[in-house]
Amino acid sequence: MTTARLLRLLPLLLAAACHLDGGTAATPHATCALPGGSSLGTDAMAVIGCGIIDSRYTAEVAVRDSFAYTTTWGFRSALGNMVAIWNVATAEPVLVDSVIVSGASTLGDVAVSDDGALLVVATERSNGSLVIFDRSDPRHPRQLSRLATPETFNGVHTAEIGRVGGHLYAILAVDPLAGAPTPESKIVIVDLGDPASPRQIFVKSVPSTAPFVHDTFLRDGLLFVALWNAGIEIWDVGGGGKGGTPAAPVVLGSVATVGGDAHNVWWLHDPASGSRYAFVGEESGPAQLGVSSVGDIHVLDVSDLTHPREVAFYHVPGAGTHNFSVDETSGILYAAYYNAGVRALNVRGDLETCTPAQQVTTGSLVRCDLGAMGREIGRGLSQGTPPVYVWGVQYVGGIIYASDMLNGLWKLRAVQ
Amino acid sequence: MNRQAVRLIVSRSCFALALGSTVTSAQDAPPTLSMGAHAIGLLTRATSTPEGRTLTEAYLTQPIVSADGRVAWFQAMGMLNLEGFTLRRGELDVGEWGEGYVDRRHPHAYVHELMVGAATPLAPVAASLFAGRGFVPFGSDDPMSRPFVSYPVDHHLSQILERLAVVSAVRARILLIEAAAFDGDEPLDPSTPQLARRFGDSWSVRATLVRSLASLGDAELSASYANVKSPEYREGQGMDQRKAHASFRVDANGRFSRYALIEVARTTDVDHGRPLYTFNAALAEGALCHGGTGLAVRLERSDRPEEERLLDLFRAARPATDVSILGITQWTTLSAAVALPPRSLLSAHAAPYVELARIRVDRTTAALFDPVRFYGSNLMWRTSVGLRFGIGHDHQREGRYGVAAAAPPSSTNSPPHAHDMSSPSCFR
Repeated sequence: MTTARLLRLLPLLLAAACHLDGGTAATPHATCALPGGSSLGTDAMAVIGCGIIDSRYTAEVAVRDSFAYTTTWGFRSALGNMVAIWNVATAEPVLVDSVIVSGASTLGDVAVSDDGALLVVATERSNGSLVIFDRSDPRHPRQLSRLATPETFNGVHTAEIGRVGGHLYAILAVDPLAGAPTPESKIVIVDLGDPASPRQIFVKSVPSTAPFVHDTFLRDGLLFVALWNAGIEIWDVGGGGKGGTPAAPVVLGSVATVGGDAHNVWWLHDPASGSRYAFVGEESGPAQLGVSSVGDIHVLDVSDLTHPREVAFYHVPGAGTHNFSVDETSGILYAAYYNAGVRALNVRGDLETCTPAQQVTTGSLVRCDLGAMGREIGRGLSQGTPPVYVWGVQYVGGIIYASDMLNGLWKLRAVQ
Repeated sequence: MNRQAVRLIVSRSCFALALGSTVTSAQDAPPTLSMGAHAIGLLTRATSTPEGRTLTEAYLTQPIVSADGRVAWFQAMGMLNLEGFTLRRGELDVGEWGEGYVDRRHPHAYVHELMVGAATPLAPVAASLFAGRGFVPFGSDDPMSRPFVSYPVDHHLSQILERLAVVSAVRARILLIEAAAFDGDEPLDPSTPQLARRFGDSWSVRATLVRSLASLGDAELSASYANVKSPEYREGQGMDQRKAHASFRVDANGRFSRYALIEVARTTDVDHGRPLYTFNAALAEGALCHGGTGLAVRLERSDRPEEERLLDLFRAARPATDVSILGITQWTTLSAAVALPPRSLLSAHAAPYVELARIRVDRTTAALFDPVRFYGSNLMWRTSVGLRFGIGHDHQREGRYGVAAAAPPSSTNSPPHAHDMSSPSCFR
């Protein structure tokens, strides 16, 4: 066979390939238009309005006064390096400005300080950092500083801010990164007393058995740390009575939640049950982002901080939870549930006393099933049309703001 | 696999070696040492790369120096791969993935292979035991020793390489059984060594029926399975993999040298014992050579996990920070290659070649990753031209050691014989 003959065969072979394609047709991503146009849907948590972002995947949401800030994630048609600024005073959120954070591919987390003065944004993946903005003009935040250290280099997954003894701190959950100078996941505490010059005051590597830290929750001088497979640790950073400070925390107790993959925490202060319960989000697999997710809400009794124990759970078939927001006045926990939208749970009172029919036994652990106890009191964006993938929620004044990776920002009516 | 299983593999291999020594005396062949060096100068053009760009790039790919020494029953082999110098950003190859690279093939480790061991003579029952850094008995031959320069998408589904491994093999006429204990962590980069403490946390087995058939040439039917612990999370806490592979391969030299491979592979990611994601692959390739001119064709359909891209869109986060992925894409590729006769000078040669590939990518679900948005199209073309340079010994078939690397018997009663079993000469 000559070279010329071989070359002549090539076009035939390539033409044959044109008939070999048979991929699965995928449903286009939705807009936030509901079936029938302007219908508010049939969910208890009715849709008030929405703001679409189509060029980027939306991540977390933070709301203060009449403004919402949503971050962006990964790469869609553009990098996840934008903070979208929404005026949410009217029914439909109106995009009024945006901020591009340089050198970032994912901005996974955003938070506003309790006095509304600061906005902080976490930049994830390589060159991880904490970016601090002045909110004097909430419509146009102004960057004050950016903290990037060898300890944040791997990428800052979440940044929580809160006060200890009246002083403002940021708690950073840092990713592991293969090949980095310090490849392990870490917890970094930053002093924001002078937000123009943030100071890193504490670093602790996550044990390799964890092996990640995804989120933290700071309240009353206690820091709850979600350590993935290692469960939840409770640290005294000034309120635990064991001499801990933000610069030198003391571990009070820990518990491994059923199934591991502990992602986020909310420590509830309830007028009825007091400070007895903490809620843990399990971000489990398998999850193909955009269409599926797995993971329960786990309820911990933390009345003894040194021996927290799991007492109840909430499960949604075919979906998994992500971030929470709690209306503590009404005793309602709102949970982002990715492809299942938003769920509202009545978390008031005793959550660990239930009938045998409402109990589930896992090994030697007996837990109450909040679903079987009728604790679910509302759903939002749960109809499947349009498809949603809700990352975060925030309750503010009777409204639920839900950030949706596929569509942008939703305003929902809170459970009455 | 636990340490007990490692001990079992080693002890059985020693037993088999002892058995071989009772039936055949040590080889009288003189010591041998052969060396070779190869590299490929490559100009490649790919349409619809990330963000829809058409890119044209040139580099030196697969630059290797290899050596093989044998004294009686003992053998040592090594291969130095210099892609860490020439391909730091990876070789442009839309669809390719692994070790933190996406749509570019990652550079391999400098110490691609360094194995030492012993093999009994090729009596009716023969055995070998090798140890070092190298290939695990799983799947098919390394793509570097096959006709195409461009790697298939299924590389990380159909091969396991660059591991600290103890590999044993027992051969009885047409049946070959191999087993290995190794470390699950895949290379971090070309220079960082594996974590020695992870040796033995993973294992594989491969069974092969080998036979020389007059009509087809040397034929192999093989099946393999591997249990790999946390390949992507170096400390060992990430998702595990269960891998299965089956293939049929024929190889014949003569006036027209021929080669064909059909393989199917499946890898399942497992978290805490729960199966999460499954990736399938099917590939068929063949080559025909005559007088230094050759034609090769490859058809492949393989799944690929989609993960979060970094600022450099050809890179993905490693390790992933949870057990989620952005979707599974299916890549259908038809490739054709033509090799032209080499020009030789002393013991060196240079052979031009051309490769053309039509690549189609499809979503398998409506998960986040949308290839049409990401690439601007779900249809890509890749064209490559280049020169294969070589001096010294030819590319050997990669991935088998000792008695597993011998050619098959021509009948059920005749013993296997020494043979390099490499791919058709025009694609070396």
